Amino acid sequence: MKTLRGLGLVQTILWAVALIVVIVLPFTSAPFRVEQYITWMTIAVAAAGLNLLTGYNGQISVGHGALYGTGAYTVAILVTDAEWPLLPTVIAAAIVCFVVGVIIGLPALRIKGLYLALVTLAVATLFPLVIEQFSDLTGGSGGLTLTSEQLYRGSIRDRRVKWESPIDGLASDQWKYFIFLAISIICFVVIANLVKSRVGRSLVAIRDNETAAEVSGINVSRTKILTFGVSAAIAGIGGAMFALNKGQVNPTSFTLTLSIYLLVAVVLGGASTVIGPAIGAVIYGVFIDVISPELPESLHSATPLILGTLLVAQMLMAPSGIVGGFHDLTARISRRKQGGGKQDKNEEVTVTTHEVVAETDLETDPGGFHP
Amino acid sequence: MNDFLEILVVGIGNGAIYAMLGLGLVVIYRSTGLLNFASGELAMFSTFIVWTFWNFGLPMWLAILGGMVGGFLIGVLVHKVAVSPLGDPHERPLAVVIVTIGLFLGLNGAAQLIWGTVDKRLDPWFGVSQITVGGVAIAWQKIGAVVVLFMMVLLLWALFKFTKVGLSMRAVASNSESSALCGVSVQNMLMLGWGMAAGIGTLAGVFSAPNLGLGTNLMQLTLVFGFAAIVLGGFDSILGAVVGGFVVGILSSVVPQYVSVFEKMPLAPAFILILAVLLFRPQGLFGSKEVARV
Repeated sequence: MKTLRGLGLVQTILWAVALIVVIVLPFTSAPFRVEQYITWMTIAVAAAGLNLLTGYNGQISVGHGALYGTGAYTVAILVTDAEWPLLPTVIAAAIVCFVVGVIIGLPALRIKGLYLALVTLAVATLFPLVIEQFSDLTGGSGGLTLTSEQLYRGSIRDRRVKWESPIDGLASDQWKYFIFLAISIICFVVIANLVKSRVGRSLVAIRDNETAAEVSGINVSRTKILTFGVSAAIAGIGGAMFALNKGQVNPTSFTLTLSIYLLVAVVLGGASTVIGPAIGAVIYGVFIDVISPELPESLHSATPLILGTLLVAQMLMAPSGIVGGFHDLTARISRRKQGGGKQDKNEEVTVTTHEVVAETDLETDPGGFHP
Repeated sequence: MNDFLEILVVGIGNGAIYAMLGLGLVVIYRSTGLLNFASGELAMFSTFIVWTFWNFGLPMWLAILGGMVGGFLIGVLVHKVAVSPLGDPHERPLAVVIVTIGLFLGLNGAAQLIWGTVDKRLDPWFGVSQITVGGVAIAWQKIGAVVVLFMMVLLLWALFKFTKVGLSMRAVASNSESSALCGVSVQNMLMLGWGMAAGIGTLAGVFSAPNLGLGTNLMQLTLVFGFAAIVLGGFDSILGAVVGGFVVGILSSVVPQYVSVFEKMPLAPAFILILAVLLFRPQGLFGSKEVARV
């Protein structure tokens, strides 16, 4: 009992430290860094959406970058052409991407596994070309800059959208940071509740054995299509945040590489864990934005090499990712400590072992990619 | 009419390239049952090896041979280190996708690291001259691509049909356990398959590079075209890869010319083809049907 509480304490401390770091960071970093942190958040949110589909439900998508891009372009077009206020566009992006996700989810009922990966890879490759094709709407290869009519020197003109902080002492980049942090946290809380619910268990059941899930009374087709929709909507929110943060969108931001990095974030952090994609996104961000610029010019491209190698190595050695690995580790520690105290309090130990087993099952089983 | 014929010639030339990449994909699918998402990047990497030899002053054919050997060795290494420890690809599709995507990233990064991010120029193997047949100009490079493709198909066919190695590879593909019991080294055969696929892919890169410029993104679109080719032809059919390659090549050069919605996306017809075939005839034109035991 005591060791369990000890481990719980470790987790609580980790959470508290993370919370403090997240709140303090925008006050101690330069504005350009704060913008980079927001980009990491957008990656984290999109990766969390992908994780719902690929990690929990087992439908492999190598094309979530296209959905992220769809969200970003929805925002850009609504703000610039339709003069929408900024934040409602995020909801519109989610709805648009939900519909697109459902449309992609329909053929995914028949196309599975490796073949679904192939189709989504083609979607990711196609997306920038689609943007260039419909340049009337999307601005083509030049992209779109988010503008709105603003009062400037006495007259109303189209100017780049800005984030004005309503609170004194909070710079505009810090204000933006906290708004996007709030949106990200909402997304993660929604996902956390979803996967703990009956729906979440049916997602995992479908991944592990579709026939068995169908027999147990789960409506497999409906669940899979809706999962695709929700996953796409969350990825779209990530993209919407990206567009609002940068103030411009460009087809080169939404290539196959982005889709691949989203997958990297999910897998490195820990697929089928709630917080894994966020950790993966931070690792990705640290590599791309912090380490890579520090390297000499000729070594800049070492980043994809390192991430690719990490990905392969991790898949072969620790497929459950960082968070999954952490759960495995804590489970092992608590089991060992239980074993040590066996002689003293025989009765209590039998009870707690059961609890430990129950807990490990819950925590580690959804993780990783076992067949 | 001549315009159409010229577009058709371009499509056939591209189709030969897609078919070459498709052949590599088929060889890997036949031997290990997996879709190799890194095969385009493998081809790109070994094309850079070709360029290095060529830039060093070797004659083109020798440089290509060197690149193919290099590609073969990398393919063997990749299989040994990253792919074979995974086990049965259809049991763990996600793991296969992740590992080949990891290789995709890694090879791309390695190529940028070694050769830089500025595009290199690789001369066309068969020169820049062309012949005119009935008013239609045909570049020798395109004829060369088609001839090389057919030689490769002939070689592969002969290998699988007449040699002991080819027989062993087919045995491993159809039932690896039984062939292991007969004394065939399964791992060696799979390794050979990966090596061969990477070697063949080199040629696709060599024929793409003069037109597209030799950069690290050389094969990213071609990969999707190559996949479209083998989806249409059937994942395990060599004939299918060739027919599929030409169909995809012709479609993706003709359709954007005449359908204005597809003007800037030659990839779209290929994508629609992939989707339609996988939905309605997953075994493709010449592939064998997949049967699952429940």
